Amino acid sequence: MTPAAEADPVLSVRDLEVSFPSEAGRVHAVRGVGFDLYPGRTLGIVGESGSGKSVTSMAVMGLLPDYAAVRGSVTLGTRELLGLDDRQMSEIRGRELGMVFQDPLAALTPIFTVGRQVVEALQIHQDLDRNAAWKRAVELLDLVGIPNAAARARSFPHEFSGGMRQRVVIAMAIANGPRVLVADEPTTALDVTVQAQILDVLQLARAETGAALILITHDLGVVAGTADDVLVMYAGRPVERAPVGELFARPRMPYTIGLLGAVPRVDSAERRPLLPITGNPPLLVDLPAGCPFEPRCPISVAECAVEEPVLTPVSPDGEHAAACIRAGHIADGRVDGAAIYPVPRAPVAPAAAIPRERRPAVLELDGVSKTFPLLKGTLLKRRVGSVYAISGVGFDIREGETLGLVGESGCGKTTTLLEVMNLRAPEQGSIRVTGVDVSDLADRRQERALRRKLQMVFQDPMGALDPRLTIFDILAEPLRAVGEANRETIGRRVDELMELVGLDPEHSDRFPTAFSGGQRQRIGIARALATNPSLVVLDEPVSALDVSIQAGIINLLNDLKAELGLSYLFVAHDLAVVRHISDRVAVMYLGRIVEIGTVDEVFDDPRHPYSHALLSAIPVTDPQVERTRERVVLRGDLPSPTDSSPGCRFVSRCPLHPALDATQRARCVAETPELTGAGGSDHLNACHFR
Amino acid sequence: MIVVATNLTYFLASLFLDPRANYLQLRPPRSPEEIDRSLAQYNLSPATPLLDRWWHWISDIVLHWNWGYSPVGVSVNTQIAFRIGVSAQLVLLSMILSTVLGIALGVYTAGRQYRFADRFHQALSIITINVPTVVASLVVVLLAIMLNQSLGTTLLFVAGAQSPTVSGFWPLVLDRIRHLVLPTVALTLISYAGYHLLQRSLLLDTINSDYVRTARAKGLTRKEAIRRHGLRTSLIPVATSVAFAVPALFTGAVITETIFGWQGMGQYFTSTISNNDINGVVAVAAFGALMTAIGAILADIAVVVLDPRVRMAGS
Amino acid sequence: MTANFPGPVPTVDLGAEPSTAEKRMTRARLSRRRLYLRRFLRSKGAVAGLVILGLLVLFALLGGEFTPYSYSDVDFAGLTAPPSPDHILGTDSAGNDTFAQAVHGLQRSLVIAVSVSALTTVISAFVGAVAAYLGGTTEKVVLGIVHFLLVVPSFLILALVSQKAGGDWRVLIVVLTVFGWMYNARVVWALATSLREREYVLAARFMGVGRVRIVLRHLIPNIGSLLVVTFTIGVVATVQGETALSFIGFGVQPPDVSLGTMLNDGADTVSSAPWLFYVPAVLVTLLTVSMALIGDGLRDALDPTSRSGGGA
Ligand SMILES: Nc1ncnc2c1ncn2[C@@H]1O[C@H](COP(=O)(O)OP(=O)(O)O)[C@@H](O)[C@H]1O
Ligand code: SF4
Ligand code: SF4
Ligand SMILES: [Mg+2]
Repeated sequence: MTPAAEADPVLSVRDLEVSFPSEAGRVHAVRGVGFDLYPGRTLGIVGESGSGKSVTSMAVMGLLPDYAAVRGSVTLGTRELLGLDDRQMSEIRGRELGMVFQDPLAALTPIFTVGRQVVEALQIHQDLDRNAAWKRAVELLDLVGIPNAAARARSFPHEFSGGMRQRVVIAMAIANGPRVLVADEPTTALDVTVQAQILDVLQLARAETGAALILITHDLGVVAGTADDVLVMYAGRPVERAPVGELFARPRMPYTIGLLGAVPRVDSAERRPLLPITGNPPLLVDLPAGCPFEPRCPISVAECAVEEPVLTPVSPDGEHAAACIRAGHIADGRVDGAAIYPVPRAPVAPAAAIPRERRPAVLELDGVSKTFPLLKGTLLKRRVGSVYAISGVGFDIREGETLGLVGESGCGKTTTLLEVMNLRAPEQGSIRVTGVDVSDLADRRQERALRRKLQMVFQDPMGALDPRLTIFDILAEPLRAVGEANRETIGRRVDELMELVGLDPEHSDRFPTAFSGGQRQRIGIARALATNPSLVVLDEPVSALDVSIQAGIINLLNDLKAELGLSYLFVAHDLAVVRHISDRVAVMYLGRIVEIGTVDEVFDDPRHPYSHALLSAIPVTDPQVERTRERVVLRGDLPSPTDSSPGCRFVSRCPLHPALDATQRARCVAETPELTGAGGSDHLNACHFR
Repeated sequence: MIVVATNLTYFLASLFLDPRANYLQLRPPRSPEEIDRSLAQYNLSPATPLLDRWWHWISDIVLHWNWGYSPVGVSVNTQIAFRIGVSAQLVLLSMILSTVLGIALGVYTAGRQYRFADRFHQALSIITINVPTVVASLVVVLLAIMLNQSLGTTLLFVAGAQSPTVSGFWPLVLDRIRHLVLPTVALTLISYAGYHLLQRSLLLDTINSDYVRTARAKGLTRKEAIRRHGLRTSLIPVATSVAFAVPALFTGAVITETIFGWQGMGQYFTSTISNNDINGVVAVAAFGALMTAIGAILADIAVVVLDPRVRMAGS
Repeated sequence: MTANFPGPVPTVDLGAEPSTAEKRMTRARLSRRRLYLRRFLRSKGAVAGLVILGLLVLFALLGGEFTPYSYSDVDFAGLTAPPSPDHILGTDSAGNDTFAQAVHGLQRSLVIAVSVSALTTVISAFVGAVAAYLGGTTEKVVLGIVHFLLVVPSFLILALVSQKAGGDWRVLIVVLTVFGWMYNARVVWALATSLREREYVLAARFMGVGRVRIVLRHLIPNIGSLLVVTFTIGVVATVQGETALSFIGFGVQPPDVSLGTMLNDGADTVSSAPWLFYVPAVLVTLLTVSMALIGDGLRDALDPTSRSGGGA
């Protein structure tokens, strides 16, 4: 289908260039972006952070700060938008162009009710009286799926969850039936099950208004499922453009190919190493001539450094274009038949040879619970109840094994990790680390001995490193903590560790700020390995990183595990990553484990209705699969765990529950389901009826 | 808190001030017994045990709302009643002025970040906020004198709250104003800069906030979006800080009243201490603590008025 | 809009690397200090403040060399004399040389301000950090005391006590310190509690690093920059407090001289003998404004998230 033949584009962007002044020089954030957007279609713009996606969308909306220099052309229908002043643009924004932002928590004015904010969006462009506007606002809120919209319209934003707020933002964006809807990372800040809901709402909104949609994201899975056409950006430039099927099936630009190889697939049991792209994206100040991807491109040739390649058609119909001088040689992700990205050697873990039951357990949790007081009042805090953060959590991790812990934010993953790391007897239940029960620890010496075996890697690679210490001191800290005092030994070990995680030991006298996010995370890993631990606990270690960087860290973790015989307790909300790295997986919901088993059992045959929904919410980076598979979209949000009464905690959102008969439904409410498995299998789930 | 602070001051003042000193210089000299007797009428005699005096003092307040007498028998109640009015004129007016000026400047300069007007006012505010009150007030006096000299007539009075000889309603009002201008300017000068800088930085935060951007995406112009969505949110902390500054203003008034010769609470503060007027000092302290409390209550009210979320939660 | 400026450019220059860990560390330390200095010098206001302060200190220390008079010398031949070759800045009504008085007054005010600010900074750092570090009941009690002292009309009590002491500047230092530390203690406490929650502190705890070591290695250095700034701002506040107290007669008292007492003298004769007002007024204003500018510059320079270095 060639839409160009059918209609004129609603929005055309040509040679868009945006630059900002900065202390280091002019930042050329967008350098020559161009695309056509056709009515009713969705254009996906993908790229790593800093590639200029947001700046492009802001330029279209006319929301760039005054000091930004913008050139090129943006035409809406026949009207040129660049060069309009703020007043003229404000006539168009909200009426013809609607926008949805990344962070729904901050996007609504805190001191006005959501209803009032939607009403405002209506009244700016339409001559509606208060009552009519309010009625229409309630309709819109209802349309985007706010339950009980008439009453909820009087709520303030802080009374809404992130997903609900994003729905409100969407309601405002479509209030005046815009021709173009721009969504900048609309689901990045949300959990997967909520992401699925919001993507559905966006499609609904698009269908309702007949608008064209620009969907900006870094998640290739989201693009695969939603976009019609895709534009890949790198260093402020479009480097490849194609219809979605074509792009995923026949990428022609090494960067796109790299991105696709760097993301793990949630629907595949195959455990090949990911293909990381080495290096980091360039700074957008004083870019050298030539292809901006050249320093990271494995197949660059001498000419690449001479002139920056422009987007040139590579398919007969001209729909597919790539900016690479070697695009003609690339087919099926290979150049002249040879792999573009060398496939890393797959590590072989020696432990895997021994059956699981015969390997010793490095961590055992049994019935662990933790509650926090629920406080109320600003000055005098009264305890008005308890938050049951985790209850009755139990699992074990054997030597050389990785257990992935998954679940939506707030389900108790981090609390579980901290309970382990604290090395204190839990409120209930027991924790054993390498066979030692933590409640038996008599003094600090014994505790320190145990800490040697147990280390942690944090989510935020910046926050976990003291900005005032050098990398040397950061890496030496755990060694000194276990009593190592010899400078020579420490110095040698630090060099060793730097090499182990792929950093130059020469750089150990720098401060954390001198390193990129991926490098900092490597430092965090090196620190965790300093004392030769048996178990490393990792809390979302890659979620703050871009995909191309993330792949390198995941491979590193896999290599280290095989090489050093480590066990991991791995927490991540990205289930594809979890599937890739874990041997076993435990699914948590509201403080309880609802399903546990080997990673393939759980991912390929989820038993618990929640696991089922969670897994089906994850977008797959394959448009064919993504558009044909059946999805379970959960209703509502994660409730907060302040209720300890018996019964299944999933009952309020369970898709299976309404289909049951009355006695069965009563059982869900009255009786807490235990983790049980069919026969002697260790694939367990906590649903009465599965 | 007010009660505790006041009582604490009573003991401290009784410890540090010796009212006998007031009688020592009198001619003819009096015997210690005579002095004690005179002081005893005012419940100030050091010969009476401190606790007894305290009990007497506090029961008088609780039962008769009588805050006692100075060592020479002037009633504290009368003094305070008269002086609060004098100070209030000054403090209230300059509080309103400095708030309005500070907020207006904050809004004005935030809209012109890093331009000349912004940098200029920023520099000016950094200077006025750091110049000691004494210097600022005296500079105002100097300027006024220069103005009066160049006009050849006393347009603005540099001393006193009113002239004793004026009569008639309008002349009286005019006279009051001519006295009021300078101290008000002086007090405003030292306090507006804080609000200016605070309002500016808060508004800049909200101008760059996501929700102002959302408002613009709905179709408001930048100015409208800031006015409707940014301003009110950023006013909340400013209003709180204005309210909490009420007691500080009275302290500032100590200097201003001394320099401009106003018989207000601030000036009472200095004179009670120099005159060993224990009861007067304590009353000033109580007044200060009361101001703090009123400030806190005002802050709460301001938040309720400006932030509908609080109202909803309350109802 | 996410205004994430281009990633930080490493500014630590790496020449030929010395091999031992020892050398590495001293090198890094030095360059960090150099970085702070560079950031500080980038701010024009801060540099101006530093220059002014430097001149003021020189004046206070060496000014005495330029006048034959001492601050207490009385010249009966010239009462309230305007500036003249004999008395460069004139004399006051008692025949004291204004220049000599200014030197002494500035000295006095500076000594008071610096010592009070240093003392309050140390006390508030100690109290704040200990409260945050120990937590629990200690924390509650300390905060209770702090909050109470914040409500007490401290200016009044200050005046009471120092009036009783007859204007001894040492007593003034003590009382100003006693009533000056609470606010900062609260600030330090708040910062220390937030640092306590940082991931790197958590990381250190999980590595088995002892509590004292955590405080010394992670908390104190990260509070350090706040304290430096607190100190400079404390100097400004103390100068303001001292001049106000001395002006109304409850601070430094004659025959001793501070900028506050000089202002008091000058106030009476603003129109008849303006030099008596101008001299202390200019000095005190230069002092407070320069200190405030320095404080601002330091705050920016020491802030790890600050941009004013073009990335650190
Ligand atoms: N307001 C701004 N001022 C200066 N630089 C900016 C501004 N907004 C974005 N940039 C820079 O422009 C580049 C592209 O940013 P952005 O479009 O936000 O990337 P993306 O959305 O793809 O993550 C980045 O280097 C960013 O630092
Ligand atoms: S132009 Fe050269 S460097 Fe750029 S992507 Fe193509 S082959 Fe690689
Ligand atoms: S126990 Fe009932 S509510 Fe819970 S998951 Fe099973 S069917 Fe759903
Ligand atoms: Mg972005």
